[in-house]
Amino acid sequence: MEVTAGIGGQEAMLFTAEMFDMYQSYASFKKWSFEILEYYPSELGGLRHAAASISGQHEVYKHLKYEGGVHRVQRVPKTEKQGRIHTSTMTVAILPQPSEIDLTINPKDLRIETKRASGAGGQHVNTTDSAVRIVHIPTGVVSECQQERSQIKNKEKALKVLRARLYSKKLEEEMNKRQSVRKMQVGTKGRSEKIRTYNFPQDRITDHRVNKTVHDIKGFLLGEDLLDEMIQSIREYTDHEMLKELLENIPAQ
Amino acid sequence: MRSEQIFWPVSADQKDRIWQLCKKRLQRMPIQYVIEEWDFRELTLKMKPPVFIPRPETEELVNLVLEEFSQSSYPGKNPTSIFLEVGCGSGALSISLLHSLPQSHAVAIDKSVDAIKLSLENAERLNVHTRAEILQLDILTDAEELLLLLTQKYGLLDFIISNPPYVFQEDFIHLAAEILNYEDHGALNGGYDGMQVIKAILCLAPHVLKDYGKIFLEVDPRHPDMIQEWLQVQPSLGLDYIATIQDFCGKPRFCVLQKSMQM
Repeated sequence: MEVTAGIGGQEAMLFTAEMFDMYQSYASFKKWSFEILEYYPSELGGLRHAAASISGQHEVYKHLKYEGGVHRVQRVPKTEKQGRIHTSTMTVAILPQPSEIDLTINPKDLRIETKRASGAGGQHVNTTDSAVRIVHIPTGVVSECQQERSQIKNKEKALKVLRARLYSKKLEEEMNKRQSVRKMQVGTKGRSEKIRTYNFPQDRITDHRVNKTVHDIKGFLLGEDLLDEMIQSIREYTDHEMLKELLENIPAQ
Repeated sequence: MRSEQIFWPVSADQKDRIWQLCKKRLQRMPIQYVIEEWDFRELTLKMKPPVFIPRPETEELVNLVLEEFSQSSYPGKNPTSIFLEVGCGSGALSISLLHSLPQSHAVAIDKSVDAIKLSLENAERLNVHTRAEILQLDILTDAEELLLLLTQKYGLLDFIISNPPYVFQEDFIHLAAEILNYEDHGALNGGYDGMQVIKAILCLAPHVLKDYGKIFLEVDPRHPDMIQEWLQVQPSLGLDYIATIQDFCGKPRFCVLQKSMQM
């Protein structure tokens, strides 16, 4: 899962932090593991961008894939002095984790960059910049990690993110052929269609794809039953739509 | 740390402590000594000047050894293995291996009493001290004593691992102030060609290793060629040069050698 602050400056970043917390709690609620791979905070406690690896039983990807897209918040920001309501956005991207067998990455296709590249390295140097950047040469897909103090750990995490991005790219190419899935799966950054609005003054959350509104934002952000029920509704709706499409495409006898 | 904590004001006491740490860093003290710890692979180790701070390249050396053990089928391999580390410093290599190989035992030596103390402390904190013997010995002067100890108490070893001092004497002036002013020069200086301790390890190896036992070394990028050349005029050692492995900057960094026959 990757979260990125969208339009709205500090307020968007604060909202992004709240959403990331919500998903972390949701993972705990569903008894999934939640491993933070990247975390870039902002000055006021907000979040610019973060990535986490979520795994567990009971169809993690099938639950979370509908969270992919642009989420919009409407409220009076903490930074606002005149009590005006602002609209900000953040984006969630859900990339399925490939199993080791599905996606083989040839180490020769990778360029691993670190800050120690020049000079003799080893005992000659003691710097603490352990950031690792990996470029997949054939596709140009890049991933970076500077979360950990151990360089080897950063490399492992960067590889994990790289695999997920490569797999997602491959997957999106195939997915684009299916119309109903394309409608629902606003899965990668760049699409401007808003999938859900969180309106604080009216204390409501509206999902625009299924046109469903629930109340109690505070409860929703806890990442427990309310979020789970919303996801369930969207799943049912999508399954229903997919079935319809399947039936419509059966050639007339 | 939850996001609300960012709004709590820092206390005067905390500010003072942070300022004391900053002052140290401003004097070019390496950050690892300022915060008194650093990570090495999956472990967090205590750091104390002047004990040598593990470098990121050395993390890969551990992986090299672990790969050997997962696919190895050379004769003499036991489920419980014993190895020697020369120049253990903070204990990073031995402790990391003991942690990843729960059936292994280590004999770790260093000529510095500070290194020995720190290695012991780290081994205890990481709960591998019961499988480690950490001794203050200098391979250049105490080789006989080490040999005696190993053969009497432990028998022959499965492998030797080391990140020995390998900086060439002439390269010393090019090192950063953080290194020159705070880290033990004894942990860095390998003599005029950086080979002094490397050669001592290779001379000791045939006497303490099992047949086909391996030696894993981290070295300066110029050393793999130099070691191979030197070995050609040391046939009595009975050591074969197996491989040079690059680090992730693409530099020749690790040498793998093997005892080829019975002495």
